Amino acid sequence: MRRYVRPMIPVIILYLTLLLVGLSSESRWQPVAFIMFYIALGQALNMFLGMTGYVDFGYVAFLALGSYGMALAFSSFSSLGLWVILLGFVLAIIMSSLLSLAVGAIALRLRGAYFAIATIGVNEGFRYLVEGVRLWGGSEGIIISSTMKDIFGSDLSNYISTFVADIMVFVIGFIAAFLTVYIINSRIGYALMAVREDEDAARVMGVFATKYKIMAFAMSAIFAGLIGASAWTLKLTYVFPEDVFNITYTVEAIAIVMLGGAGTLTGPIMGGLIYGFLRYYLSTVLPGFQLLVVAPLLVLIVTIFPEGVMGYVKRKVRNTRFEKYII
Amino acid sequence: MPLLELDGVSKRFGGLIAVNDVSLKIEKGESFGIVGPNGSGKTTLFNLISGIYRPDSGRIFFDGQEITELPPYRRAQLGIGRSFQIPRPFKGATVRENVAVGALFGTLSGKIDVDSALEIADHYIEVVGLHEKRNDEAERLTAVEKKLLELARALAMKPKLLLLDEVVAGMNPKDVDRVVDLIKRVKEEEEIAVVAMVEHVIPAVMKFAERIMVMHEGRKMVEGPTLEVLMMDEVAMVYFGESKLPGE
Ligand SMILES: Nc1ncnc2c1ncn2[C@@H]1O[C@H](COP(=O)(O)OP(=O)(O)OP(=O)(O)O)[C@@H](O)[C@H]1O
Ligand SMILES: [Mg+2]
Repeated sequence: MRRYVRPMIPVIILYLTLLLVGLSSESRWQPVAFIMFYIALGQALNMFLGMTGYVDFGYVAFLALGSYGMALAFSSFSSLGLWVILLGFVLAIIMSSLLSLAVGAIALRLRGAYFAIATIGVNEGFRYLVEGVRLWGGSEGIIISSTMKDIFGSDLSNYISTFVADIMVFVIGFIAAFLTVYIINSRIGYALMAVREDEDAARVMGVFATKYKIMAFAMSAIFAGLIGASAWTLKLTYVFPEDVFNITYTVEAIAIVMLGGAGTLTGPIMGGLIYGFLRYYLSTVLPGFQLLVVAPLLVLIVTIFPEGVMGYVKRKVRNTRFEKYII
Repeated sequence: MPLLELDGVSKRFGGLIAVNDVSLKIEKGESFGIVGPNGSGKTTLFNLISGIYRPDSGRIFFDGQEITELPPYRRAQLGIGRSFQIPRPFKGATVRENVAVGALFGTLSGKIDVDSALEIADHYIEVVGLHEKRNDEAERLTAVEKKLLELARALAMKPKLLLLDEVVAGMNPKDVDRVVDLIKRVKEEEEIAVVAMVEHVIPAVMKFAERIMVMHEGRKMVEGPTLEVLMMDEVAMVYFGESKLPGE
């Protein structure tokens, strides 16, 4: 039990601090929610990239499918009332996990670099499918704001998209952290560690590498889908293919994981915090130029801490009494 | 029925036949040595047995079933453990975590939990003498310690057949003695068949193996009781060219 509880303490402290800062004044909620999105995104991708070392350039497709799952629940099952949100999350899980199983079963037989190349096409392919055959509203997307008002009334709708959706992202991120601790300490975690460090050695030691890679991929995809469903569909009340299939989010997610420390528990939280904070404040100080400043800053941090900020901290606390708290 | 049987196994890389029509039987609990000069195909043979490569022709049987087409992880779970010539530790993980992987996914795969695996790991870490380093990251070990880690990881798999690729290469004579003794001891205690291959450290082979096979340019040259084989003129030829054994 202690091996699950102790590593969660820094996570709980970080999450609580963030929540309290967000609730402390009206104007702070937006930046906190913005940062929280990146934290949750980093944690979701960390389950795959961090655990296996495999890079997925099509990752944003899982967020996209999750956001479509939620939108489809609203557009097709509005008679369910409040339950429609639950159905939306279920659809998000089903759609993102199905895509991950389809892609994973084929591409995860490949090794690292070949996998990365194979995934580049997935996201663009899906986007052209949606726009080309006019699936799910084609390039016009799905707008759920009026359905939402019909179901919930405008006050509740407003409350959902300005507060509940953000809280959901918070909860999803927190559950992701908990699952990560569990995985790291389990058989699955040992298998993934072995695959990440040396796949051939892992195989001759009895690790069914492909199976564990697919498991990590599917879990990571499901969390991405849940984030898409709440941070995009519930919050923005619309889904447009050019927004949700935007490769920028894939790149940002990778940057966050590397920045914070791939495969660590607190790494993606720290990475999301640093990245989200920089992006938010630079966009108010230097609108339009934020990437010009963020990019070199990231390069600088990754140069100083090649294993990411928390990867560095984790190494530093090894063999001290803090070692059980930072994993 | 032998524990391991190779039946006319061959593997080519482009124009090169790295393993050429090798047949071999290893009995349960046997200690078998494979010697041969550089590039004679020893490592390739191990890769064929552990499943990293599939043979181009020939068949492989283990413990009563054909494994020619089985993937490496299945063979490991059936009881084939191996070490790598160039150690391949999970660098960022601790010694304990490294060895626990063997326990979790070897022949006990699915039968034990993480805590029992860590106990097994601690046992074999003690056996190979890495106890003081058990919480260190594997990448910080010395070259000799990494070889010992390879051994502990393979032992923790509780294999029926242990393939050791040059475990004692690069060790000083004292370490060689210690490691050979410990392999012999564990082998007796756990009734593991051990196939060890070495390029040169002949004294170690003599001390350890009951039977040996000499490989030359991918082929099995001779096979038989260790001393007998090492006395053969043609074996000396392979190692020392035209000249005779030193001292003759
Ligand atoms: N993956 C590969 N691709 C191409 N050629 C290979 C490959 N693996 C081995 N070879 C070649 O096959 C031959 C046998 O190599 P192998 O490593 O099995 O020899 P060895 O007896 O283990 O030698 P050493 O004593 O140097 O370890 C060599 O000529 C080697 O270059
Ligand atoms: Mg070799």
